[in-house]
Amino acid sequence: MTAFLQAIMDGLTLGSLYALIAVGYTVVYGIVQLINFAHGEVFMIGAFGALATWTVLFKGQTGLWVLPIMILGAVIVSVLTAVIMERIAYRPLRGAPRLAPLITAIGISVFLQEAVRLFYPGAKSKLTFPEIDVVTGSAIQVGGVTVQRAALFTIGALALSAALLWFFVNRTRLGQGMQAVSQDPDTAQLMGINVNRIIVIAFALGAALAAVAGVAQGLLNSNIDFRMGFLAGLKAFTAAVLGGIGNIQGAVVGGLTLGIAESMATQFIPGQFGGSAWKDVWAFALLILVLVFRPQGLLGARVVDRA
Amino acid sequence: MTVTDETPAQPTPGSPTPAVPGGAPVLEARGVTMRFGGLTAVKDVDMTVNEGEIVGLIGPNGAGKTTFFNCLTGLYKPTEGQVTLNGEVLPPKPRAVVVAGMARTFQNIRLFGNMTALENVMVGRYCRTSSMALTSILRGPKFRREEEATRARAQELLDFVGLGGSAEHLARNMPYGDQRRLEIARALATDPKLILLDEPTAGMNPQETRQASDLIFRIRDSGLAVVVIEHDMRFIFNLCDRVLCLVRGEVLVEGTPGEVQSDPRVIEAYIGGGDDDDDAPPRDDDPTTGADGIPNAPMTTEEQP
Amino acid sequence: MSTHDDLTPTNDLPGVDAPAPVRETDRPAYDDDHERTPLLERFPGRGSAAAWPLGLLGVALLVGGTFLSWSYTSNVLGDLSVDFYPNGVQICMIILGLVALVMLLAHQGPLHRLGDWLDTAAAVRILGLGALAYMVITLGIIAVRSGGLINVNPGGWVSTVGALLIALSGLMLVSHQSKDPLFAQTSSWVEIITIVVLLAAVLFGATYALGTSTGGAFSLFLVFAFALAWGLAKAGFFTWVGLIAQKNRQVLMLGAFAVAFLFPFTQGGSDENMSIATQVLIFAATALGLNIVVGLAGLLDLGYIAFLGAGAYVGATMSNSAFATIGWKPPFLVVVLIGACFSAVLGLIIGSPTLRVSGDYLAIVTLAFGEIFRFTMGNLDGTNGPDLTNGPNGIPAIPELNFFGFDFGQPHEILGITIGRFANYYFLLLVIAAIIILVFTRLNNSRIGRGWVAIREDEKAAEAMGVNVFGLKLFAFAGGAFLAGMAGTVKAHHDVSVSPDQYIFLESAFLLAAVVLGGMGTVAGVLIGATILKLLPEKLRFINDYRLMIFGLVLVLMMRFRPEGLVASQRRKLEFHEDDEDLAERIEEVHLEEEEAKA
Repeated sequence: MTAFLQAIMDGLTLGSLYALIAVGYTVVYGIVQLINFAHGEVFMIGAFGALATWTVLFKGQTGLWVLPIMILGAVIVSVLTAVIMERIAYRPLRGAPRLAPLITAIGISVFLQEAVRLFYPGAKSKLTFPEIDVVTGSAIQVGGVTVQRAALFTIGALALSAALLWFFVNRTRLGQGMQAVSQDPDTAQLMGINVNRIIVIAFALGAALAAVAGVAQGLLNSNIDFRMGFLAGLKAFTAAVLGGIGNIQGAVVGGLTLGIAESMATQFIPGQFGGSAWKDVWAFALLILVLVFRPQGLLGARVVDRA
Repeated sequence: MTVTDETPAQPTPGSPTPAVPGGAPVLEARGVTMRFGGLTAVKDVDMTVNEGEIVGLIGPNGAGKTTFFNCLTGLYKPTEGQVTLNGEVLPPKPRAVVVAGMARTFQNIRLFGNMTALENVMVGRYCRTSSMALTSILRGPKFRREEEATRARAQELLDFVGLGGSAEHLARNMPYGDQRRLEIARALATDPKLILLDEPTAGMNPQETRQASDLIFRIRDSGLAVVVIEHDMRFIFNLCDRVLCLVRGEVLVEGTPGEVQSDPRVIEAYIGGGDDDDDAPPRDDDPTTGADGIPNAPMTTEEQP
Repeated sequence: MSTHDDLTPTNDLPGVDAPAPVRETDRPAYDDDHERTPLLERFPGRGSAAAWPLGLLGVALLVGGTFLSWSYTSNVLGDLSVDFYPNGVQICMIILGLVALVMLLAHQGPLHRLGDWLDTAAAVRILGLGALAYMVITLGIIAVRSGGLINVNPGGWVSTVGALLIALSGLMLVSHQSKDPLFAQTSSWVEIITIVVLLAAVLFGATYALGTSTGGAFSLFLVFAFALAWGLAKAGFFTWVGLIAQKNRQVLMLGAFAVAFLFPFTQGGSDENMSIATQVLIFAATALGLNIVVGLAGLLDLGYIAFLGAGAYVGATMSNSAFATIGWKPPFLVVVLIGACFSAVLGLIIGSPTLRVSGDYLAIVTLAFGEIFRFTMGNLDGTNGPDLTNGPNGIPAIPELNFFGFDFGQPHEILGITIGRFANYYFLLLVIAAIIILVFTRLNNSRIGRGWVAIREDEKAAEAMGVNVFGLKLFAFAGGAFLAGMAGTVKAHHDVSVSPDQYIFLESAFLLAAVVLGGMGTVAGVLIGATILKLLPEKLRFINDYRLMIFGLVLVLMMRFRPEGLVASQRRKLEFHEDDEDLAERIEEVHLEEEEAKA
């Protein structure tokens, strides 16, 4: 039983991380039907942004008060990256065959990874992420279940982000504009909604959450490296598909489901195919199974295929 | 510059023997009903199309014509009822429907714009030819024969619709009226028993419309059954042997053009108005057609399912 | 008379009623020159009579300068310090100068009639600017290497001034091109000679480029080749070449293979160059297979390297290596077949669920599959699964291939020329590449190829016209996997070992880049793309660390500015420029001309 609860806890932590990133895929896909492949790198850059903020402003500090500023730094760097990326690389390709933006995305992804590796001091190997009071440090024991402090931070960050996102999408003018554009961009344009602005906001929103995820990842693993975006991005995409791509609640549900499935697989698949060596394989196998049996995802893709 | 000049008596693109109108039934739809959630778009529609017959499908906007059409062509699986072609139940898959012998055109032209006219028609031959990978790679005599036959047949069909001289032109460069005819040639290439034309004169000028009727008559004369969806009443009543008027998803009237034309309910349905939806066709003075007859935007990729 | 012919604007433009081959070509609409014309037209001295003699003087100085010493020291870019003995770096400038001379003489003088067909001014302009860039870089390298411009000898300055004069002349000249090279009627022997000359040029160019000993000389060669190609393209020369290549397909194919076949004989048994050449060929053969999937069927396969890896692992586990885990050692040809089939089955397993859903998913699922493959190969080491692949260490010491006593590891003597280990594999890979090219071109020109185009154009319409969309996609996907598996089995022996880290996602991305850079849906393009991508990092060691970043950037820029690739397939070009009406008209003209040529 304890093992089960522990697996649930680990799964929720991992799932929260996936969910935070997955929102970025889903929001952008919902509006422009584009899989922003380079979103994983936005997450990675967020982590580096946080580290840079800490290194430049607070080197040596461990107080909790630096955390919000680190997150702010991460968000700024990520959002800038995403917005520039949209403006320079994706926007000119709207209306091009679907192959074009996908290939562009791969190019951006490789470019960003390499740019960080080459130009961030010391990034050719793993970099240590700072320890922050309260959110890192000795784990808490709850009835036999070990709970990392950073895990609580991650889950809390997801809960808060999801609430804010819900408020934004459903209760603000911009959010409603976003919904309108995802339903029908042409009509929305005619109704006076600035579609370009909405698209930029979608990218920015996804980037902001990815940045938070980047910080969470740094705290969880206590180190970051330039390759971390690739696998995390792929998993988060899997989560988005699992929940139903284009559907924001779906991304959260999908992320948590994937995280729990992964930790359960690690914990409970017996014999040689169990353990962490195979967990990624099971995660991707899940992606393929979802596509076979429920391509619209758990909650259903909200966007119809306009092809 | 009429089309017929170029295509002297050439009555048979399809089956060899011209059939008499009102022969054996080709297509039979029985009790076709289509519901989307709580909305019933098509309710209990029966339709029979006989060999060598032209049947028109009319109705105000939102009457469910396109939905019914999609039920026939396998895009939708009807909630109730069934469609049979030559006595066999049609599976709800577009490709299977084509293989069974029913071909269609699209309301907003969907040609393969970056292929030549000839290639477009050759794609239509796909389901009637069989050379697969190994044959294609080894280029045996069978491949050459089939390729030659495909090309010859495609050219023959282009001649039939009056586009023989434009075989090597890119579809997207062709004038609007030619694109419509090319779509018909492509559909004919699948050797159908029945051809469904979705608003074949949308956006055409009167002269092109006359040419279109002429072409449809020649298709009928070659032994095919034809179903036409149209908004242009004069066109439909001149063309069809029988007309179905669909209103709010149900068959309001069925009969000869004369009967339907004079039925007060039809007039009422049109003037009293169905509810608006987006399948309104472009009219003759459609802005997508420039003054020179060259389309400004002939190829739209979007279509409502 | 059909309706269409009446609408074709053939001779109804006022003033264009000249005889047959002239068709509204007074405006070279097919290049993008007209966009820059205003700036160009304001160039001082434009159209003046001095331009032509200036150009001739420039050619004389450029070529003359190459016969003098360029550098005081003899250790820069080979040896540039000897008078009257131009080396490779200088010969490049002689060639550029001579081509510029031909263009000038076509503009005015004995070849005047040629000038009616070519945009000579643009050619001279580009050639001159290219030569200038070349000279500036050369002088820069001399200055850096041997301590200042003081070490540049007069010859270098003379050639630089010559290049500058050619460039100025080109900027001042106004072309009198009045005919479209597309409609040029040439006798077939001229065409065949042109093809042979071009192929020979490629062979010499490749040999020279591989033989360059420094990154500087190689970069200079790139500048030279680029300037030459661009200049000739601007002149409209390649429009004509494209047409005659279509007309003389067989000659071109045979010639190209002859060149590829002869290549090892020019290397004098140099294993270093042959090793690069074999790597290029493995890469190119795999990229060609990927091009069937991406370029023809329009499916984005991001895990293609895994299929190559599957073949390689089959080859390795069934080899005579001491680490091979399967006891059965069938003959190599059987292994090739098993490897190919194994890959194809994997392709079917991955493809059948994903090809039914939207195309974007395929990209991600193939990516995930690539990762699954890599993890799995790393895991099957006996502790985390059955011992099949020897885990992260892979299977080393795979023996050389041996066909009926022909040992691929041993050098052989043919006609007194040593054919080393890599050359042996080179010939084998050439055969595999030829098979893949054959499959590619023949499928493209068949019922299946037409189906693929239709699917790319409009999937729903294709389905509604009876095209088996799912089946054709699956066939492309599994067929591509089959070919990759085939190449993989050879790669295992060539590489001597297989390990999971050879099959990372970046390799897939590289393959895709070769396809995109070269041109989706073309054979020549992918060969060029693969060569560029493999050769550049080998020869330009100094960019090695930046190579991936540059490559990412190139992908983005290509999609933005030339999505159809360097060698464009006409159809792909149309697809990527869906709203360019002029382009569509132009391509139709080319197509009609080709059809006429065939008939």
